[in-house]
Amino acid sequence: MTTYSSLALRGLAAGGIAGAASALVQLLVTEIPLRAALAVEQAREPAGDGHAHSHGEEEVVSRGVQVVGGMLGVVIVGLAVGLVFATAYALSKRWFTERTPFSRSFALGAAVFGAVALLPWLKYPANPPAVGDPETVDHRTALYLGVVVAGLAIVWGASLLADRLRAQSQPVRVTGVLLAVVAAVAVVLMAFPAPPDTIPADVPVAVLWQFRLSSLAQLATLYVGLGVVFGLLVDPATRRARAGRVAGSPA
Amino acid sequence: MTSPAASLSAVRVPKWAFAVSLLGLIVTYLVLQENGLALGASSELLHEFFHDGRHALGVPCH
Repeated sequence: MTTYSSLALRGLAAGGIAGAASALVQLLVTEIPLRAALAVEQAREPAGDGHAHSHGEEEVVSRGVQVVGGMLGVVIVGLAVGLVFATAYALSKRWFTERTPFSRSFALGAAVFGAVALLPWLKYPANPPAVGDPETVDHRTALYLGVVVAGLAIVWGASLLADRLRAQSQPVRVTGVLLAVVAAVAVVLMAFPAPPDTIPADVPVAVLWQFRLSSLAQLATLYVGLGVVFGLLVDPATRRARAGRVAGSPA
Repeated sequence: MTSPAASLSAVRVPKWAFAVSLLGLIVTYLVLQENGLALGASSELLHEFFHDGRHALGVPCH
């Protein structure tokens, strides 16, 4: 018998594991363009306007602490998102109900990745340090959250539509849902204003794109990883297969 | 709302589940988006501590 608390604990575990994997991608991949961007930021300092972070004061937190703290932050976000994910999974009564728990979790993870990571990434791509006017941060945060909410609404609407088209054949249903999602994504991408900040000329294009792709890789590791690990933890088939292998192995 | 196959996922979701999810969202907000709205001055420290993670996960940082 599955209870909500057992799902929530597995959500925490899956979120912690996916968050740790994402933090590892950060350490090994994202930190490389991030360091390059910080070097660009540092090169500006003698010119006058100071370090964008410390607002002219001395550094609050050292670089080493920022690297570790950033990784810790990703793990904490993983744990928190894992809890929310488990609740969404428990509530998703019409989400691929005929599939196995693993494929339901995997599909939910992929959909969450599309809604809260890929869609905002397409509209407002991740920026390294040295890009971004502190004056516009509240405006940019509001736009970013708006796209996240719109993305979640699209996923919600797609599941409603799939349910509504239940009487149709599977090819018709899939095509209908796909068309509606593409149209909704196009509307969101056109309706939201362009990113307010320009990219400063001293930020190399290669660094910018390496950073953006690293960020996307990290987001995919976090959200798709969460769906996969949660699926492994909730699907009884995982344990059955392992039990069978252990029983069948020589003593 | 309920589909015929709903019995497959017959997990009773208690009320406190929503409090737990809200907590998850608040923690995510504090780590990724806090710019001084909720915590005031101490958010500066939080901001700098989680700095690399915020950039890496693509949220607007500064």
